[in-house]
Amino acid sequence: MSQPPEGEQTNVDAHSVGDVAASVLIDAGAVLASSLDPSTTMGQVASLTLPRLADLCVIDLRDEDGSIREVAVACVRPELAQELEELRVEHPLDPDGGHPVAQVLRSGQPVLLPEMTSALLSSFAQGSKHAAFMIDHGYRSAVVAPLLARERTLGALSVLRLGGGTPYGQEDLRLVCELARRAALAIDNARLYSEVRRVEQRLEAILVNLAEAITVVDEHGQTVFANQAAADLLCVADPEELTSSPPGSIMPRFLVLDEQGRQLDLEHMPGRQLFAGETPGPLLVRNFVRATGEERWLIVRSSPIADPESGRVVYAVNVFENITEVKRVQLAESFMAQASRVLASSLDYAETLQRIARLAVPQIADWCAVELVNEKDEIERVAVHHPDPAKLELAERLNRDYRPSLDESAGVPEVIRTGEARIYTDIPADALAQYARDNQHLELLSAIGATAVIIVPMIGAAGPIGAITLVSAESMRRLSPGDLALAERLGRRAGTAVENARLYTERSRIAQTLQQALLPESLPEIPDLEVLARYCAAGELNEVGGDFYDVFDYGSDRWMLVIGDVCGKGPRAAGVTALARHTLRAAAMSGQSPPEMLETLHRALRRQPPGTDLCTVCLVAVQHAGSATHLTLALAGHPPPLLIDRDGQARLIGRPGTLLGVLDPIEICETEVQLADGETLLLYTDGVTDAGRPNVELGETGLIELCRQAPLLDLDSLLEYVEDVALGHAKLGLRDDLALLALRASHPARSQR
Amino acid sequence: MASPGEHLRIDVRSGSDRVVLGLHGELDLLGAPLLQEAIDRANGEASAIMVLDLQDLQFVDSAGLRVILAAHERSRENGQELALTPGTEQVQRLFTIAGVNDHLRIIGSPDELFV
Repeated sequence: MSQPPEGEQTNVDAHSVGDVAASVLIDAGAVLASSLDPSTTMGQVASLTLPRLADLCVIDLRDEDGSIREVAVACVRPELAQELEELRVEHPLDPDGGHPVAQVLRSGQPVLLPEMTSALLSSFAQGSKHAAFMIDHGYRSAVVAPLLARERTLGALSVLRLGGGTPYGQEDLRLVCELARRAALAIDNARLYSEVRRVEQRLEAILVNLAEAITVVDEHGQTVFANQAAADLLCVADPEELTSSPPGSIMPRFLVLDEQGRQLDLEHMPGRQLFAGETPGPLLVRNFVRATGEERWLIVRSSPIADPESGRVVYAVNVFENITEVKRVQLAESFMAQASRVLASSLDYAETLQRIARLAVPQIADWCAVELVNEKDEIERVAVHHPDPAKLELAERLNRDYRPSLDESAGVPEVIRTGEARIYTDIPADALAQYARDNQHLELLSAIGATAVIIVPMIGAAGPIGAITLVSAESMRRLSPGDLALAERLGRRAGTAVENARLYTERSRIAQTLQQALLPESLPEIPDLEVLARYCAAGELNEVGGDFYDVFDYGSDRWMLVIGDVCGKGPRAAGVTALARHTLRAAAMSGQSPPEMLETLHRALRRQPPGTDLCTVCLVAVQHAGSATHLTLALAGHPPPLLIDRDGQARLIGRPGTLLGVLDPIEICETEVQLADGETLLLYTDGVTDAGRPNVELGETGLIELCRQAPLLDLDSLLEYVEDVALGHAKLGLRDDLALLALRASHPARSQR
Repeated sequence: MASPGEHLRIDVRSGSDRVVLGLHGELDLLGAPLLQEAIDRANGEASAIMVLDLQDLQFVDSAGLRVILAAHERSRENGQELALTPGTEQVQRLFTIAGVNDHLRIIGSPDELFV
């Protein structure tokens, strides 16, 4: 190895050589530090040797294939440099030949040629033209030093004296070797840098384009990288705003809570815990944007980047997954499930509504009040809740002194009159002043401190019967369209519950009892399958009859699902419903196939006394076949059921067949399908798809769209959700019954975060 | 609540061999009695052919279908002809689901001649 020991330059003669060495190396230091582009740098290095150290300087690099490529040439006579370059292109140096550059590249050792004779030059020339060029231009003395870095010879640096100059000596050799060593280092660094840069660029392209929000934070808490998704999530314009913000300046913009509602600060974040030497798992946080009150649910995951030498964590990579939508559906379903249980628990509706108000606070609002219209057409407060008794007193005073009357143009009276929910996302002071009847009223209203309000109607069979008011106050929580949708469902469910409680004591008690006698009391259990039904009788137009469903076991691990619709009302329809149920059961027991069962029912209906008894039926025979569930389906004039896969994609199955009881002959086909694990079969009556007509009916497409939520919901919640939406479409009361019957294989793929 | 007749309008015209009942709007539980009444009245005129023109009918449910099928039965018993024009997409969809298309005579326009 030819590494000249440092500091030896001073001990020999040459005042001049020492000076040249110092000035060349200082200049080289500046050049080599200035650029990472090797070709520019090498050109500059070659030039700075002139004329102090050389008349001609050439730098060659070894390419990957072993060939020799000249990358820089400088000469005191520029035209000669030009000529040499052309010559080298024309006659490249042979890597295995005798040229000193080739030798140096092979050996890694420098070569000093103090005096070069014509014979010597001719001996290593690449042909006669090359030899003539060297001899004609007076090649006299040369030093060729290897460009060595990390024990590899990257190339060679050659310096030459032309004509009559002083021949090179040992001192020059050392200097050239040192210059070559530094140049080699610069080339090596530049190559490493461009490789790292390429990797970085590739990585950055991946990170920037990821939909997940990603930040990289250093040990001082400074964000050094963020993608646009992170900027969006953290409510800033672009990633630069994050990387230029001082550490800890972004977090205070958010209120961050854990799942139990406890406030979290920066120290609890997984990224911080990494620097504290811990290995944090994913953290689920509930995050409120302080400026807007917007709520998000995020999963934060952090991974460390350690310094390769010390092993110390130098960066934390944070990935934020936004699961607000999933969480919102989960919370809404859990709230509705609780509310449904409360509503079903008692026929004392005043008490039930008070419990609903308590349930709503603080889950969905800071205040909750429930108002009903009484028999004298007065608005009556039946429930109100706020956790602070002093605040509750305010509400009592407001209700006592400023009770709204049904003819008022805004607020609760308006919602009850129109049946349309209202959401106020902002409560400006002047709007409040306009609404207030006098100063004391305004004072009380202001003391409530509402920042947002939702008022939803409670819908009974004949239309709105009351309203539920949800108020956001001290929490500053923003009320979103999602909250509005949830509140509307609560309003419908509470309306139905109140209506049921009232109806219970009225004439329809008989009708309801009769109806229930026509429906199975409970559904049989089917191993590995979940089967559930939901039924909702139409309002005042309905007496009895209409939709029916049934599920029964007909031997040797076989079950039959039945859903149907008898056209007609009153006792006659009730009779047809009973006939249909019992005929189908008997037919199944006697071993008939679904089409045969329908034929049997058709003939039974035709034997009835004159009158057009229309009946539509969908039958599904269920049979376990190994791990799969085999379904055999037959339709008689009934809407085709939906098969919903694990991703929430629903498709209509079955082929239309003739409805029963009127036309002869009927034509019924059988369709066979498999119900895979996690899939759901949904049977329904036209009351579901027609609900809301003639304004906005749900329709088949609307129902298919609803099924997208199926993978997120357990079966009970799914049916409740479909029923709620259908009831929501039927704002002013149901005109037709609706029935839902669903079958789900094994364990639904519920989203359990 | 909508009052009966709000959603269904029926106009009646007599041709040389037929009486045409043009249905407009929605034929549901509320409209069904109106259609029944109109059919009963038209039968009094004793035309050989009755056409229910459904081209302007937006909606039909099972209650509406029941009246149409009852009329179909009665015309067969009396040796009359009952024909229908196709309704909107929803109406056609219901007829398909109900599986009644093969039993009914569907004609392209209310005045189309047929034997």
